[in-house]
Amino acid sequence: MAFIFLFLTFGLSGRAQQKAGGHANNFISTEYYEAPHQQQMKTRLSGAEAQPLPGGLLDIKNFKLETFTLSGQPEITASAPECVYDTINETASSPGHLQLDYGAGKFYVEGDGFLWRQTNSFLTISNHVRSVIKMSPENKAAP
Amino acid sequence: MKILYAIVIVVLAGFAARAQTNAEVSTIATNQPAAPATEPRAPTVIHSESWVLDNAARQTIYRGNVHVDDPQMKLTCAWLVVDLPESGHINHIVAETNVVIDFVDDKGQTNHATSDRAIYDFNVKDSVTNETVTLTGNARVENAQYTGTGEPIVWDRANNHFTSTNFTMIFRQSLDNALHKTNSPPATTNELAAPK
Repeated sequence: MAFIFLFLTFGLSGRAQQKAGGHANNFISTEYYEAPHQQQMKTRLSGAEAQPLPGGLLDIKNFKLETFTLSGQPEITASAPECVYDTINETASSPGHLQLDYGAGKFYVEGDGFLWRQTNSFLTISNHVRSVIKMSPENKAAP
Repeated sequence: MKILYAIVIVVLAGFAARAQTNAEVSTIATNQPAAPATEPRAPTVIHSESWVLDNAARQTIYRGNVHVDDPQMKLTCAWLVVDLPESGHINHIVAETNVVIDFVDDKGQTNHATSDRAIYDFNVKDSVTNETVTLTGNARVENAQYTGTGEPIVWDRANNHFTSTNFTMIFRQSLDNALHKTNSPPATTNELAAPK
């Protein structure tokens, strides 16, 4: 799995730095498409803070999930105040709120409680779902 | 009680050369050339209990008490599947289980439709917009004039009217008219028998 974890703390020197106890700022996890598109980013998970938990879990604040098409266009942009990322099973979940944009603003959804399965690109929102779909401008038939 | 529902059952069934003729419940022809798309369209808002995105299949599913609030209609159902094309307009939506649709037609008349399943399809071919909602499974449409059943019933959203095969209509009639016309035999022709 072409997953790359980056733990970056931007201090005065601007160099990456991991704090004592494994706590890190500006967490980024990136997945790339398989060959021959291995240079093309597929998914990027990021967060303002990442706190390691037992069992390969990370407690992430200001979680952000982005997916991209093969052509590099943004596809999904999802954000949540916090979530737990399972580095072993490659899932992100939280009982909290999630907001998601799909297709450059054509589709929006939000709700409470979510699970993102990285391996099959499957996202579930469990409660209080509200979604907005922007249709094309009205095509009225000519008389 | 001022209104009595006088029942006139008309079966537009397949007879001779006119078998399976579509009953068109409007005077506007379908598949007209689309006018330039200039009017901004209010967004469609959907509420549900839960939601799933299968990004590999480019499909999203709303489950439980699904409510769709669209500029042209309100829809409720138990299960709604929306296909997400890579680009362009959302072109295929399937609503299932206890589907209820309320919409206002081009004459300002409120219509109430129910079915087991409703399928929304959108496409533009040769500058012609086709936007339909196809009701199947106990499909039924009610308005102030009649109750209609058919299989399927197709609502042409581009032209805002609906058609059906083997459409059966039960007309509503005022009490005054109904009292003068009681015990009349049911219509037996292929003609659409409107109340006199």
